Amino acid sequence: METIILFAPLVGALICGFGWRILGETAACWVATSLLFLAALLSWIVFLGFDGETQRIVILRWIESGSLTTDWAIRLDRLTAIMLIVINTVSALVHLYSFGYMAHDDHFREGESYRPRFFAYLSFFTFAMLMLVTSDNLVQMFFGWEGVGVASYLLIGFYFRKESAGAAAMKAFIVNRVGDFGFALGIFALFYLTDSVNFDVIFASGAELAETQVRFLWTEWNAVELVALLLFIGAMGKSAQLILHTWLPDAMEGPTPVSALIHAATMVTAGVFLVCRMSPIMEYADTAMAFVTVLGATTAFFAATVGLVQNDIKRVIAYSTCSQLGYMFVAAGVGVYSVAMFHLFTHAFFKAMLFLGAGSVIHGMHHEQDMRNYGGLRKKMPYTFWAMMIGTLAITGVGIPLTYYGFAGFLSKDAVIESAFVGSQYAFWLLVVAALFTSFYSWRLMFMTFYGTPRGDKHTHEHAHESPMIMVAPLGILALGAIFSGMIWYGSFFGKTNEVGKFFGVPYEVAEHHDDGHSDDDHADDHSGENAEGDHGEAHYQLIGAPGEGAIYTAPDNNVLNEAHEVPKWVKVSPFIAMLIGFLTAYQMYIRRPDLPRKLAESQWPLYNFLLNKWYFDELYNAIFVQPAKGLGKFLWKKGDGATIDGGINGLAMGIVPFLTRLAGRAQSGYMFHYVFAMVLGIVVLITWMTMFGGAN
Amino acid sequence: MEELLSEYLPIVVFLGLAIALGLVLILAAVVLAVRNPDPEKVSAYECGFNAFDDARMKFDVRFYLVAILFIIFDLEIAFLFPWAVAFQDISMLGFWSMMVFLGVLTVGFAYEWKKGALEWE
Amino acid sequence: MISADISVVLPELLLAVFAMGALLITVYTSKDKAAPMVLWTTSVVLLATAIWIALSGGGTRVAFGGMFVDDGFARFAKVTILLSAAAILLMSQEYMLKRDLLRFEYPILVTLAVVGMMMMVSAGDLMALYMGLELQSLALYVVASLRRDSVKSTEAGLKYFVLGALSSGLLLYGASLTYGYAGTTLFTGIVEAASEGISLGLLFGLVFLIAGLAFKVSAAPFHMWTPDVYEGSPTPVTAFLATAPKVAAMALFARVVHDAFSGVVSDWQQIVAFLSVVSMFLGAIAAIGQQNIKRLMAYSSIAHMGFALMGLAAGTVFGVQAMLIYMAIYVAMNIGTFAFILSMEKDGQPVTDIASLQMYSKREPLKALAVLVLMFSLAGVPPLVGFFGKFYVLRAAYDAGLGWLAVAGVIASVIGAFYYLRIVYYMYFGEDKEGLDSGMNPVLWGFLMASAGVMLLGVINLFGVEGVAAAAAATLVN
Repeated sequence: METIILFAPLVGALICGFGWRILGETAACWVATSLLFLAALLSWIVFLGFDGETQRIVILRWIESGSLTTDWAIRLDRLTAIMLIVINTVSALVHLYSFGYMAHDDHFREGESYRPRFFAYLSFFTFAMLMLVTSDNLVQMFFGWEGVGVASYLLIGFYFRKESAGAAAMKAFIVNRVGDFGFALGIFALFYLTDSVNFDVIFASGAELAETQVRFLWTEWNAVELVALLLFIGAMGKSAQLILHTWLPDAMEGPTPVSALIHAATMVTAGVFLVCRMSPIMEYADTAMAFVTVLGATTAFFAATVGLVQNDIKRVIAYSTCSQLGYMFVAAGVGVYSVAMFHLFTHAFFKAMLFLGAGSVIHGMHHEQDMRNYGGLRKKMPYTFWAMMIGTLAITGVGIPLTYYGFAGFLSKDAVIESAFVGSQYAFWLLVVAALFTSFYSWRLMFMTFYGTPRGDKHTHEHAHESPMIMVAPLGILALGAIFSGMIWYGSFFGKTNEVGKFFGVPYEVAEHHDDGHSDDDHADDHSGENAEGDHGEAHYQLIGAPGEGAIYTAPDNNVLNEAHEVPKWVKVSPFIAMLIGFLTAYQMYIRRPDLPRKLAESQWPLYNFLLNKWYFDELYNAIFVQPAKGLGKFLWKKGDGATIDGGINGLAMGIVPFLTRLAGRAQSGYMFHYVFAMVLGIVVLITWMTMFGGAN
Repeated sequence: MEELLSEYLPIVVFLGLAIALGLVLILAAVVLAVRNPDPEKVSAYECGFNAFDDARMKFDVRFYLVAILFIIFDLEIAFLFPWAVAFQDISMLGFWSMMVFLGVLTVGFAYEWKKGALEWE
Repeated sequence: MISADISVVLPELLLAVFAMGALLITVYTSKDKAAPMVLWTTSVVLLATAIWIALSGGGTRVAFGGMFVDDGFARFAKVTILLSAAAILLMSQEYMLKRDLLRFEYPILVTLAVVGMMMMVSAGDLMALYMGLELQSLALYVVASLRRDSVKSTEAGLKYFVLGALSSGLLLYGASLTYGYAGTTLFTGIVEAASEGISLGLLFGLVFLIAGLAFKVSAAPFHMWTPDVYEGSPTPVTAFLATAPKVAAMALFARVVHDAFSGVVSDWQQIVAFLSVVSMFLGAIAAIGQQNIKRLMAYSSIAHMGFALMGLAAGTVFGVQAMLIYMAIYVAMNIGTFAFILSMEKDGQPVTDIASLQMYSKREPLKALAVLVLMFSLAGVPPLVGFFGKFYVLRAAYDAGLGWLAVAGVIASVIGAFYYLRIVYYMYFGEDKEGLDSGMNPVLWGFLMASAGVMLLGVINLFGVEGVAAAAAATLVN
């Protein structure tokens, strides 16, 4: 079954990409889509029927070279199962949605066939993503990693006639290359240290690596810190974290379904997945994890601030994605991988829905993306409006405080913030502020798009229309996820430790006392999952899985999950309050006083420009990296290659050699005495040489 | 080395004597001879060429042919002399070797004869 | 005793007797009218001798007290010499008949030269060496000036003779020095004399010997005669000069350095490497300026000798093996190339200007393709056989620690590729103008195609030459 899930998208991509001339365009697209739905259905069966035991399904022996032995195998544990449903569900819905969205496109000429290519790319992306999450070793993962990179490149640049799309595709690919370099170095380092790329071996050697020192660059490193950091650099690239985030907003040049699938729900979460997957290594790397936390929190804050002032509807959501990814990294960084996965899981639903909803708006508004030209669309697009509303409620975290009832984002985001409070105060405060901003820009989006009076081109507004059913239906399904996924699986991801342990297949036992956090010494009798169930309700549990046992690993002294449940009430309420403030501010500024934003922007113009220009990151990179690199390239091209190498070769071939040829021709005078002279000269040279350097005694 | 060189001493003495004798004779001619030249006396011999003339003048290639053929048989004699002197000491192998050598020469001789190399016209 | 000696030299003896017999019989009967028949008979005899030698058993036999050595190495060289001589004789017939050049002495002189070469490669003594060398050279001087009414041909013969005499003088001087310091002319004796370290006098002898031999293989800077003689000689003679004597001289070179001076490898290695590198570069660079294909082939052979010397410079068994393979391949390539050059005619007159090949592919696609294969092979373009020849010598040099020489060889072969490719360029992309006569003698056509075929098919296993050459090299170097 897992094999079918993995290969169905590949088969779909191949049939659709190469066979559409035979099958016809529409039929080919339907083949790909139905195979995706099959994969999605099977994924849900696998997920719901999964018992937490790690399974390994070998497909083939892949690489054998020296001591490197790698199978192509599916590693099925809870992490994989979660990712399977996320990827396949969203992908299947996006496929369906694309029928409507890609029906007509002005970027292509009349009669030009582009849809099968689009569907093939989508399916290929899905396959690569599945390969990434099902991998049993780092090499296989890396192939999936690069595969999604390629698919992302192809899809961002799908409108190949648009120059900015091509540039954005290249930017995404190149920036990702930086991260991938770190990832590759991490893989090399792990192989160097453990002589294996298989997860089983690597996971088992975490403790050992923590005792090892390696020399890298100019200094000595703790092996596990180094590896964790390098792997995280890879994750930073893929998940668009600060420093390497610049490609994500530009990636919105791609068609909107692509943004929903790749740049919101799946590919960008690969970094989070990687950190969770490598938890047995990460748990030993305290410094690296602190770095992850700080960087994640900073990204969440930074992206949220930029999101406040963007006018392009997709860019707002893109920065929101960037920000939410920061949340996930904070959760992973403080050591609650289950919460990181929780947010990843819920975020996939509501963010995909927001994107698809935005796509629906863009589609209805004839590819107008600037929110300043929207307004009052609530009546024209009722279904889209409600979908966006649900998505916004989910992302801003609406729910009933101190209970477990609310939209998906309410539960998962609060879980992240509570964990952050235990792990890092810095992260906590930044996340709360970010939650406020999130609420503001999300409502701002809603108000600017659906409320108020129509702005911009009248003609466009007159022709604004609701999208066809085939685009609205996927929104409905995703809405279910956005509403209920948090409530249903709250316990599994962020419930009592025993629940979480069971869900992820990690053994657990009753902890002595939750406050001291060290209970493993004096608690000898091991409670298995079943008989611990009946214990008194206040009992605290401790995950005791060995590294590699179960889907995630937490160190014995990692008690964040338990402590996160015990945080003060004000902490639990704080994100809700932040959400309320954000909502009210947005309401004030965009419904009651629509003139206020302009005034504020004018009075606070330095701040406004700073945010509007995304903290000047692009300009900074352009000055620091791009221009010098271009300059260096130009220098090497003109001076190095053109003048030195070409010039040298040409000079040699067309100057010196002909000169020598003429010389040789002149020596060949035809006079015998010249010939004799040459011979005698040769003899003299040889004799002299041998007299001086010969071995004569 | 000394010994080797001392063996060559007679040759050095011989060379010295030869040079001395040559000088004596030439100087004697200068000192003693009566000089009374007439045209017949200074002209070349009948078959020769003028002594003081252009060295690059053309003359018949047949002279060379005859000279070369002469040299071959001259060398043959040079081989035959030591062979004849040592005839008593060499074995039958020596005898037959010379016969083969002469045979090869004869083949060449027969060829050039038939080819007409020996005829002047 | 003597009969055992004679049985060792029997092939040479019989060839010599055949030559003399043919000379006498023909001169006393029909003279030049019988020339084609003599030519064919000679070819057959040479071929038969080649087969005989090839099939005669292995092992090393020594005759005349060590002066004559018959071993695997000599047999390999002899078979190559005999086969190439036979092939060139067959190729000559039509060309010489057309130009009224075919005298009955020509095949006989070639036979005598071949006997001299066989003597050379079997030499175990400086005197035997010199005898073989002169027998070969004198015959070659004569054939070089075979066209007596042509100024160029006589000039070629005279230059060859005078410079050859000078080189013989150098070689003899080296031989006498060697004799003076070693006390013997036998190679085995010279090895003994040099076993305690080489004296300066012996070293001088070695240098002069090598200089004399370098002249024969036309290695720079003793190559100056080559272009003039190649250009002036009748083309069949050029073809002969470019093949068999080169093999003989190279084999003799190997025998002298490995048999007589095997104890002082590091000394002669320097000299041979010097000759090699100078030859490769001079051959490659000077050939660029040539428009005459015969002169071009002369420089080409200089460059190729440089490569063969590279194998020799390695001073190892593998080096000798590489050299032998290289020479065998070189001969095979040159036979095909000269078969084509012999067929180059315009209005019945021989043409040697490479510009006459412009757009040859349009008129004669198959022949042009064959020439292309040969040119690529000469240039050493993989995967043709010529590449493997170069590969072997480069590897030998590299293995022997002469990395710089191998690098120089690669650079020289890059430069050298230019003029081979220029011929291909003319044939395929040149201006279309009136070119060569079409039509080709079937014998020449056969040799051209066979040679090109060998270049292609030899890729598979080099026709087993590798193993034979390895065995031959092993008998020379102990």
